[in-house]
Amino acid sequence: MLIIAMLKGVPAKTTGVITVSGVLRREEMELVMNPHDTRALEAAYYLKRRVGGKVIGLSMGPEPKLVPIMNDLYEPNQESRLVPRMPIYGVDENVLLSDRRMAGADTLATAYALAKGIHRIIQLHQEALDELIELVRNNASPAEVESKARELYNENMLPNKVYSTLPTVRDSSVRLFVEGRISREQLLEKLEEARGDLMNFIVLAGMKTSDGETGNTGPQTAEGLSEFLGITIPHAAFVVDFEVSPEENSVIAERKLGNLLQKLRIPIPCLLTLHTEYTPRVPPASVQKRVRLNNYRGQLRKIRVWDAAYIGADPEKLGFAGSPTIVGPGMEIGRPPVQKIVGKTLVFKQDMDKFEWNGKRYGPFKKYDPVGDLPEELVRELEGKGLLEVFTLKHMIEELFGGLQVVARAV
Amino acid sequence: MSLEQYRDVWVYLTREDGKLTRPSLELIAAGRKVADKIGQRVVAVMLGYQLGDAPNEAIARGADAVIYADEPWLKNYLCLPYTRVLVDMCRQYKPYAFLFIADELGRDLSPRVAYRLKTGLATDNIDLEVEDYYFGKDNTTYKNVLAQIRPDFATRVAKIYTPRHRPQIASIRPGNFEPLPRDESRRGELIRFQPSPVEDDFKAEIIEEKALPKSAVDLENAKVIISLGLGILKDGEGRPRNPREGLELAEELAQLLRERYGLKVEIGATRALIYAELKELEGFITKERQVGQTGKTVAPDIYIALGISGAVQHRVGMIRSKNIVAVNTDPNAPIFDIAHYVINDDLYKVVPQLISYLRGQ
Repeated sequence: MLIIAMLKGVPAKTTGVITVSGVLRREEMELVMNPHDTRALEAAYYLKRRVGGKVIGLSMGPEPKLVPIMNDLYEPNQESRLVPRMPIYGVDENVLLSDRRMAGADTLATAYALAKGIHRIIQLHQEALDELIELVRNNASPAEVESKARELYNENMLPNKVYSTLPTVRDSSVRLFVEGRISREQLLEKLEEARGDLMNFIVLAGMKTSDGETGNTGPQTAEGLSEFLGITIPHAAFVVDFEVSPEENSVIAERKLGNLLQKLRIPIPCLLTLHTEYTPRVPPASVQKRVRLNNYRGQLRKIRVWDAAYIGADPEKLGFAGSPTIVGPGMEIGRPPVQKIVGKTLVFKQDMDKFEWNGKRYGPFKKYDPVGDLPEELVRELEGKGLLEVFTLKHMIEELFGGLQVVARAV
Repeated sequence: MSLEQYRDVWVYLTREDGKLTRPSLELIAAGRKVADKIGQRVVAVMLGYQLGDAPNEAIARGADAVIYADEPWLKNYLCLPYTRVLVDMCRQYKPYAFLFIADELGRDLSPRVAYRLKTGLATDNIDLEVEDYYFGKDNTTYKNVLAQIRPDFATRVAKIYTPRHRPQIASIRPGNFEPLPRDESRRGELIRFQPSPVEDDFKAEIIEEKALPKSAVDLENAKVIISLGLGILKDGEGRPRNPREGLELAEELAQLLRERYGLKVEIGATRALIYAELKELEGFITKERQVGQTGKTVAPDIYIALGISGAVQHRVGMIRSKNIVAVNTDPNAPIFDIAHYVINDDLYKVVPQLISYLRGQ
């Protein structure tokens, strides 16, 4: 199974405190992996041990910033500044979508690019099998078939059950064919089956990112994939627990919807976003052993960097150009109209009607109104008349609770 | 596409036990604010089965019209069929804006609706305005664009605009709008939408739904919230304090206000204090007391911040409180920027004083 974990590089300073943002100038900040994505990687690891296959990390962003993060994802159990430590085996390979035209994307444009990237990942694996299928169809010799299979296997493009150099895997389809134990037709059947298996993929994502905090990209990527694949890709957001059904054609997922815990059966292929409360299950050892036939060669420590053209993306739908939303200028959160500093602010002792001073009108004022920006000279005069005082805790209590009815005095 | 064709502010309402949820009532109020500015209608949108009196209730609570679908196959929320019905409604009636509640359901549903309509989605808004927006790339000023105001990365809030696309889809964080009073005399059009189920949308199926136990902590409805931050770990001289003492002082003050004035008082906390997982506060200072961006948004009459510096993530969760009292030893604490009452002093001195004054009053 192709297990695709969507990962995001986020500014390091957003990971300590979870925040929200508009368009960020990422190049100016150190990027680390979105902390919520650890759940997606843990879920990916569970899936790999439960059904086999390979885990592909998928991200979008500037190459110099993302490559170090992706490199550290090969060994997530090691100390890293960029990736939280996780007790799991790392990703098998990484795909990075990187193109200047992808910059400034909102969630719609991001989901568009990611869905295109996932579509390309599937196509790439289909193309690999197609190459092999064509050779077999064209009556290539068993030696030629094996040589091609080895080449594709070394690139992590064929699962062990199709071809393997592992001593433990004796019965790969290509091996059986080379040894004359299955016919050419039978091999073709196996290869077509493996090709079909590629559509049984699962996409995983964190429930949100620490910088954007929207959680939109997961469900929107499912929608984009549905568009590009021509089949409906269902999703479930906020999954707290899931397992693969015994028939391995669906996942049984529990997810939180407010006060409701919803248990769903979702057919594969599908997309899940994992809640921060998600903890992965551990498949029985016998299952883990059995599904290794579905695994690929192993970690390919090479990051595939793809641009817009390679994933067949329309530049008009990418990045800033493809984003319906525009982030306007930020604003400070407003100060309250009246602020009083206990022990400092001068306030009126009592209500005061409008009055004239030096030809200008002032007021009216209410008891405990601060003098604010009244002229200094006037303030001194009012003070001299004993009309002002410093605001105290007692005054505050009177203001806040004085108007309330006391229901019980003896406390 | 002519943007003027798109009219009315739609609000997607949810029910619990047959009644409109409080965030739904807030959403009608949010829609009202926008609709009144542009002279258009608030249209409540409801999907479900056996909606009963809920559509009329939406009118009484401030909607001008309701578009609803009442079908057995819409009884429980499922993203795909709900998405299709909402998208079909939008294509037929062309709303100017479509608001959702920024809860889990809204976050599951609105992204797919927005993607299918190829329009913008601004998540987690705390306020909405209507503005003209000049877009340099087109050299065009778009009239009456929704300014979707959401907490921002730095110490600020940002406005998100969707000038060129309709509907402008936004989700609103609960706790930021006051529900409108019920007005039985209000009348409005009820439009029943009659969709047909599409088999493909039922690929995912519900096996079971169960209610999660409700939290005993009710921050949203408290009149007074006394909130604690990491500042309770130190006194005015910087000496360490057992945080338990700070909690007990806050509890004493809370109890006094409850008994004396019959007020509903709750203890809140910052994310930093909760995640510090102090054993002295174990079992009491838990996630359900968290105020802020990733916790609850609250708007009590009185919010007393004890030892809270006031990171923006906290401020966006309580800025709408009617009276904010901030006690902090740091004169530069950002919480003071938004406080109505600034007390630049040691909470271990201030709170006992408050208690004694209240007792004496």
